[in-house]
This record gives sequence, structure tokens and C-alpha cells, in this order.
Amino acid sequence: MAHLCLFSLLVLSMVLKTQALTPTHHLTTTDVARLQAVLSQPFTDLKSAYYSVVGLSKLGILVADADETCQFIKSNLDPSSVESLFYAAEASQALSGCEIPVSNDTRDLLLATVSEDSTASQIHQSVSALSSLGLPLASQEVVSALKARISKEDNVLTIILALQTASRLSQQAELGDILEEIEDLAARLDDLSGVYLQFEEGLEATALFVSAAYALSDHVDMEPPLKEDQVIQLVNSIFSKKSWDSLSEAFSVASAAESLSNNRFHVPVIVSAQGPAAISHSQPFLRLQVTDVLCQPLSSASVLVESASTSTSKSAILSQAPFTLREEVFELNFMASQPASGYYQFSVAIAGDSRFVANHVELKVKVSTRVAINNMDLSVVDKDQSIGPKTTRVEYPTKAKASFMADSHQNFAMTFQLVDETTGVELTPHQTFVRLHNQKTGQEVVFVAEPDSKNLYKFELDTTERKTEFDSISGTYALYLMMGDATLENPILWNVADVVLKFLDEETPSTIQAKTLYTPKPEIQHLFREPEKKPPTVVSNAFTALVLSPFLLLLILWFKLGANISNFTLSPCTILFHIGHAAMLGLMYVYWTHLNMFQTMKYLAIIGSLTFLAGNRMLAQKAVKS
Amino acid sequence: MSNSVISVISRFLEEYASSTPNKLKVIDAYLLYIMMTGALQFLYCLLVGTFPFNSFLSGFISCVGSFILAVCLRIQINPQNKGEFLSISPERAFADFQFAHTVLHLVVINFIG
Repeated sequence: MAHLCLFSLLVLSMVLKTQALTPTHHLTTTDVARLQAVLSQPFTDLKSAYYSVVGLSKLGILVADADETCQFIKSNLDPSSVESLFYAAEASQALSGCEIPVSNDTRDLLLATVSEDSTASQIHQSVSALSSLGLPLASQEVVSALKARISKEDNVLTIILALQTASRLSQQAELGDILEEIEDLAARLDDLSGVYLQFEEGLEATALFVSAAYALSDHVDMEPPLKEDQVIQLVNSIFSKKSWDSLSEAFSVASAAESLSNNRFHVPVIVSAQGPAAISHSQPFLRLQVTDVLCQPLSSASVLVESASTSTSKSAILSQAPFTLREEVFELNFMASQPASGYYQFSVAIAGDSRFVANHVELKVKVSTRVAINNMDLSVVDKDQSIGPKTTRVEYPTKAKASFMADSHQNFAMTFQLVDETTGVELTPHQTFVRLHNQKTGQEVVFVAEPDSKNLYKFELDTTERKTEFDSISGTYALYLMMGDATLENPILWNVADVVLKFLDEETPSTIQAKTLYTPKPEIQHLFREPEKKPPTVVSNAFTALVLSPFLLLLILWFKLGANISNFTLSPCTILFHIGHAAMLGLMYVYWTHLNMFQTMKYLAIIGSLTFLAGNRMLAQKAVKS
Repeated sequence: MSNSVISVISRFLEEYASSTPNKLKVIDAYLLYIMMTGALQFLYCLLVGTFPFNSFLSGFISCVGSFILAVCLRIQINPQNKGEFLSISPERAFADFQFAHTVLHLVVINFIG
């Protein structure tokens, strides 16, 4: 059981090790220059002066005219405001030889601000001002004020400011509780797809967190509880933005960059190839730049290739080969190991300082070479092979003197070999095409030449088989060999020879018509629905009369039977009933001509109910009578 | 053969003329009228064509519907059937006939187009 545990732990650690993160985003020298330019803008007030002066000092740059800046700070200082004192104190600290005059009132004001009732930002500003101005402060009081503040306001910025403040206090104070906040705060970071780690409050908060955490950790000399992968993810988040919205954002990025390159525990290493990672005989050195996050070269590092192998095979060409440092760039002569052309997977380790983070890098290196064509043989082979082939050898880059003739009884064949110019190893580039171009008609047909098992390229043209590609157009075709590959330095386009092809059944159109794909199509005329054929009006009228005629018959029959209306009583309901009934029939006619169903139903309801009532009365009376 | 058919028919006509009450004969005349109208419409359709089909249908259904309703009325009014229609007086039958016709005409006019 214990063995199994141990074994699984070993496997897990191996797996984790192979998947160590490397920074995907980092500042390049142009980005650092841009950051410097943003921070060097002329300042308008004390706050921007603070950001510029202190920000530039983090980047290791001194302000140009220190005296003028100092005067500006002194003149804009408002001694009754803690914030103003903070900016002035910090900025003057960054400038050399700039002293801010301090009065007792100022000191009292700053000391009074250190209490539970002030905001974390006020506590931070007063403590930093006191510390920069060299005034004494009671560290334990500050600690208790901060702890009270954190318990009241639990947000990210308050805790970051508490961390920053704690890093200015005396080392004898009990900073343990505040130190624990780093871990809690780190847990609040959002992991975005395993690449970024940032606060939802934004870039500035994340950058300030990094600088505060490392400032405090350095101050108490205890490693911050951040794992290597987390540090790299923070680097990705902070340095993914290359232009900054505000001076405070640029300032936060500068302080984060400074703390990540200068702290005692974690120094992320940025490894990038100088130019494309490609090697050839003319360029045999693989050059790597190894810097910290501020693009300052790490000259103390020693760079080593742990293994270099081709993408396909796992055997290592190189193992444990060191890079040599030359003018702040690490280089290695890879061509000395005589690699074949192709892509190689390098595993590089950077050692030299235990603080280095992300010091195992995987690189993909391309080795290119020049190709040479050997033994290009052109021949015309008879199909029934009764006559032996005549082979002509052509040397690159000349063209064959005589043109080759091939008609339906013959095949045209071409064989050649592709080798590496220097090593003579056979090559199989990705693109080997044979192009036949008819000079008169401009038509071109392209075929692929395939290598056989011995890497000998063969191309055969059977005129009868391929006549559809040529549209059966006979004539002189210029034969070109086209060759290219990502690892070839000299792609080839070589007019090898002229081939005269004769096709049987020349059913070619007299001119080549360009494909009529994109010409307008014939217009479609819309056919409206034909109205149905109606019978002539005479017929319709005749039949109408015919259909109505039985009514006459009915009247005659009724008359004969003696039907009469002698029993017609003139009581009001009878009259009303008959009027109502007539009105309903009239409504039917009006419905046919003018109304829709809803209107008809409405009128019908009115008339119908009247008729019903009247009819009911009438029939009741009739029933009584009879 | 045809002789017996003719004699049956003539006998039937005699019976009819003598024993049927006048009211029923009036209704029978009406039935004949309706039937002829329907037949003529159908003849037109056969000869000339079914355009417009909806009009033909509506007219034909009107004839058929009216015929059926008139037959119902005749059955209900017939004194010989009085035993079967105890709760329905002739006046009531006529009222039903009226109402059903109203509905029929509404539908027919809707469909005639």
C-alpha cells in the first residue's frame, strides 16, 4: 500500500514537472520603453509627480531635472493634507538631495491619522510619509489599527494597502497576522483558463498585490505562499496589457515589474530566441535572450540544453550542452552536431540562482538546408517497349537542348534525386511539382512527382491517360520542376525542357473559353398563374336561367295543390316574424356582397333573436288555435 | 316485366294522390323543386367544368341540405308518425326547420365566394 502511494506520488510529480508553465506574455524592450515614456510625461499636480518620479525610480531611471522637480513638489505641498504629504514624501525620497521641511504640526497630524477610524488608504499614506520623512512611529499601534481596519472592510484594496503599510514598519512588530493575509488574498485571485491569475478588480489591483506581497515578504524574510505556476500566471496577467489607461495603472505595472525582478524569493525568467529560432549553415548559432521581467539580461545565469530531439523520434541529438554568453546573448552552435534538416524540440534549463521561476523552457528550432538535384534523367519510352528509351541527363540549372516528342504511343518519363547539398542525405520536400505550360494558349497543368521507397523521384506522363487534363490540345509545353519546403533555403523553379505533346482525336474548341462560372446566367421570366378558362357568358347565362326555372314549376305545383295563405292572421307577432325572416334572407344577400362573417353574426344575432321570439309566439298561437 | 313495373308505378301514384294529406303534398312539391335545382347544377358542372369549384359546391350542398331538412320536416309533420314524435309538435318541427335553414344558409353564403 505504501509502495503504491509512493509510486503514484512519483508519477504525479513527474507529470506535474513536465507541465510547468512558462510565461506567455511578457514586456519586450519596446514595451519597457513605452512604459518609461508614459511615466515621463510632464506632471500637472503632486499626485502625477509622485507616480512619475517613483515609477521611474522603480524602473531604475533617474528623473532628468531633479532640482526643478523638487521645487515643484515643495511648492505644491499642502501640509494640512495627509495625502499631499504622502505624495511629497515618497517623491522626495526617490529624488536625491530633496528634503521636505517638516513641522511639529505635520508630525502630529500624521501620527493622529494612525487610528482605527481612518481608512486603510489614510493609514498607509501617513505611515509611508512618516517612514520616508524619517519620523518615528509606533509600529504596534499601526498593526492593531490595520487589523481593525481589515476586519471592518474585507475588500482586496484595503488588504493590499495593509500589506504595503506593514512592509514599512519595524521588523520587531508582530506582522504575522498581516502576513497571513497574503495567502487569503491569493486564494481570491481568479484563474482564467490556467493562463491568467488576476483579481476581478482589475490589472491595477493585481499588480499592486504583487508588489505589496513581495515587499512584505522581503521585509520579514519569509517566502510568500505563492506557487511557481501562480507566479507565472500573475506575470501573464500583469504584462499582457501593453498600453496603459492611466498613470496609476502604469505606476502599478512598473512597481510589480520591479518587485518581480528584485525580490529575494521568486524571479521569473523570460527566455526568447533572438530572431526566428532557425539554424542553417549560414547561420549556425542558436541565440537566446534570457532576461527578467524588466528585460534586463540575467548574466549570472547558466543556460543548458537538457535535450534536443527531432519531433518524430525520441532519440536526443544533444544532451546537456551549455550555451556560451556573448554580449548578453546566450548562443550555441547547433550545426556543429550536424543535424539533419527538420524541426527539433529543445528542452532548455536556466540555472544559477535558486530564485529563478519558470526556468525550464521548451523551444521548437528549425534546421534548414539547401537542396541539390542529382541525376535528372528525361526519357521518352515507347508503350510497347519495343524501342529502348533514350535518356537525356540534364544538369541544374541548364535546360535540355532538344525538345522531347511524345504522342499516343509513347510515355514521357522523368527521374531525379534530391539531396542535401552539404551532407548528401536524401531529402523528401513537401512540395515537388511538375508543371507543363503551353506557351501559346497559356494553359498549365500541374502534376505531383512522388518518391519511391529508395527516395528516387519519378514522374511519368501518359498522353492518352492524361488527355482530359490537357483538353487534348497538342503543342509545345515547357516543363518546369517546382520544389519547396519550410526547411529548404533554396526553393527551386527550373525550366527543365520543352515537351511536344501530340494528342489523338483533337476535339478542342478553337479558342480556350474561360470557365463560364462567373458570367451572368440567362434571365428567368416569371410566369404568373394563368387565370382559368371561363366558359362563354352565353352558356353561363343559359344555365342560370335553367337552374332558376324549377322555381316556376314549384309555384305551378303549389297552385295546383291549392296551397294558399288564407289562414294568414294579421297579429303583430306574425307580421314581425315574417319581416324578421325576410330581413334574415336580405342579410344573407348583404353578407354575400359586402359583409364578413363577424358583422353578419352580429346582425344575425339581433334579427334572429327577434324573429325567434316572434315566431315562437306565432306558432304558439297557431297551436292553440288548432 | 316492364308491364309489372308500370302497373306498380301507376298503383303507387294513385295511392299517393288519394291518401296523402295536402300539407305533405306541398312539401313533396318543394322536394321535387329542390332536387331538380340540384340536378341541373350538377349537369352544368359535368358539361362546362368545375370552375369556380367553391361556388358549385356551395350551391350543391345547399340543395342537398335543404332536401334533407325538408324530408325531416315531412317526417315529423306526418300524422301517421305521430306516435314516434310525441314531444315534437308540427309547430316545433317547423321552428327547427327554420333554424337549421338559417345555419345552412349562413354556411352556404360564406362558401359561395
